Amino acid sequence: MSSPTLTAGREHSVAELEDLAFELRSKLLQLCGTYEGAVHIGGDLSAADILTVLFSYGLRVDPTDIAAPERDRFVLSKGHAAVCMYIAMAIRGFFEYDDIVATYGQLDSAYGMHPCKVQLPGVECSTGSLGHGLPLAVGMALGARHRGETHRVVTLLGDGETGEGSVWEAVMAARSNRLGNLVAFIDRNKQLMTSFAEERVMFEPYPDKWRAFGWNVVEVDGHDMAELVAAVDALPDPASDVPTVVICNTVKGKGVDFMEHNLAWHAGSLGAADLERALAALDASRTKESV
Amino acid sequence: MPVTFTFGEFLGARSVIGSTLAELGEDRENLFVLTPDIGATLVEFRDRFPDRFIDVGLAEQACVGIAAGLAYDGNIPVVSGMLPFLSMRALEQIRTDICYPNLPVKIIGTHGGLVGNGGSTHYAVEDLALMSALTNMTVTSIGDPLMVGEIIRQSMSMTGPLYIRLAVGKKDMVLYEPGQHDIRIGKGIIAREGTDLTLFTHGTTVAQALAAAEQVAEAGISVRVVDMFTLKPIDEELILDSAERTDGRFVVLEDHLAYGGLASRIADVIADRRLHLTAFERLGIPQVYAGFGEDEQLRDKHGYGLAATVAAIRRAHAA
Repeated sequence: MSSPTLTAGREHSVAELEDLAFELRSKLLQLCGTYEGAVHIGGDLSAADILTVLFSYGLRVDPTDIAAPERDRFVLSKGHAAVCMYIAMAIRGFFEYDDIVATYGQLDSAYGMHPCKVQLPGVECSTGSLGHGLPLAVGMALGARHRGETHRVVTLLGDGETGEGSVWEAVMAARSNRLGNLVAFIDRNKQLMTSFAEERVMFEPYPDKWRAFGWNVVEVDGHDMAELVAAVDALPDPASDVPTVVICNTVKGKGVDFMEHNLAWHAGSLGAADLERALAALDASRTKESV
Repeated sequence: MPVTFTFGEFLGARSVIGSTLAELGEDRENLFVLTPDIGATLVEFRDRFPDRFIDVGLAEQACVGIAAGLAYDGNIPVVSGMLPFLSMRALEQIRTDICYPNLPVKIIGTHGGLVGNGGSTHYAVEDLALMSALTNMTVTSIGDPLMVGEIIRQSMSMTGPLYIRLAVGKKDMVLYEPGQHDIRIGKGIIAREGTDLTLFTHGTTVAQALAAAEQVAEAGISVRVVDMFTLKPIDEELILDSAERTDGRFVVLEDHLAYGGLASRIADVIADRRLHLTAFERLGIPQVYAGFGEDEQLRDKHGYGLAATVAAIRRAHAA
């Protein structure tokens, strides 16, 4: 028995998805402008296009039936992008954006800095400590494979967290267990919290490292919606044997010029004046890209 | 039922784990067994259900994370390995991936305490303190090999995580006649009745506690031996009852750091319930890295062997 809306997202065109990504960024900035605590806005903006393409196009999920057995599972390994995921899910119909922005980070809110399944059953699992998401996704993919189910398990990692050894343990486990139903997206923004990644950790040659572990490696511009859609469309059959990693080259703070490539904007909050400035920058970046 | 051993005989807890899991796997198609390259215990399950046996190689963190993913997916995962590594290298995964969402993952491991002569890299001596600190975790330490099977069976209906600590698991003494005791997670076992004082213990030192009680009985000291195999949640009723029935005289013996394990769990109850004890002696590993040697030698060297236990009983009795 299939939930009727499990595939509805795929009806969006690239142009519509670009509009949704703009809406997501705009809502992220508005929340960052009203909430006084820190929002991980830099890594949210770098992941905004990826989470849009996943929740509004790629993932077979049903907001009206969150436990549908045949749904694709999504694990947000970079748990600090929780608010970006909440809003991407709200755009898909899981939650009300107004609830998120009205309660974010407050006592008894379901929406906090890192996702908690106990408080928010619409998310698949509790994450936040980095390097944990891929092992969790491997376990979910093993369970699905064992039951002969054909849904995918998709996880989004930050590139920084792939410095954690547990990620590479899971990379090996996924390939050893032939989990073609597992897909990892990497938000490759090349920034850690306090430094530019390659200054501190030599990640390159990054795609070759995944390739050496036997994964199917796809590389895209993580802000090019057409490329992201093409990557989703070209994912191998979940019954195949090789897990896929989609390395998405991104920019931390993407869309807001004063946040892009700026270490000060790993996390922060925007005052009223800065919010106006950020929204104007977002508008300008869109105009520039559409010319 | 594979129960063919009786009191006083030796049996490997490891073989009980393998046979019990293989038996349970027959009816439970969602039972998975995972190991970080310590699979010898599990051959019966592995051979019968190869598609539900996952050896990730030397990767404790991923092993626990994968188990959590399986549990999120509606399965019952059992992780089996060596406790010094599972309880410390994968501690954060146990805490965050399993305990935080309260998933039904069971962690069963060997090498609890100064056993195996591996040196201090290979002794789990802080594990009970670490596991007891975790919200939602049930913590057990088992000496009797037949009990291991019983606890694994009971654990199938648990909704949250469980930690089972064993010694080496190759040659363990059967302490209880099958059916002799009502064995339930969360309830201690009165392994020997007595009236002068209570000796609390768990795991591999239960046999030593019984031997010490036997020795002092000849001198007219009557010791109640309590096998407090569940450290968390602790059996408060049995502690209160023991204080009342044995004149407020307690000795605690364990193959774990003397602070942070069972003695500390009992001391918490004493403080919270405002018990007034006459004697409280704790026997365990002092703050040292213990070095090499057989377990009996190490216990003697570090002050919690049989002779030290007898001496502590005498001190408590004389108090």
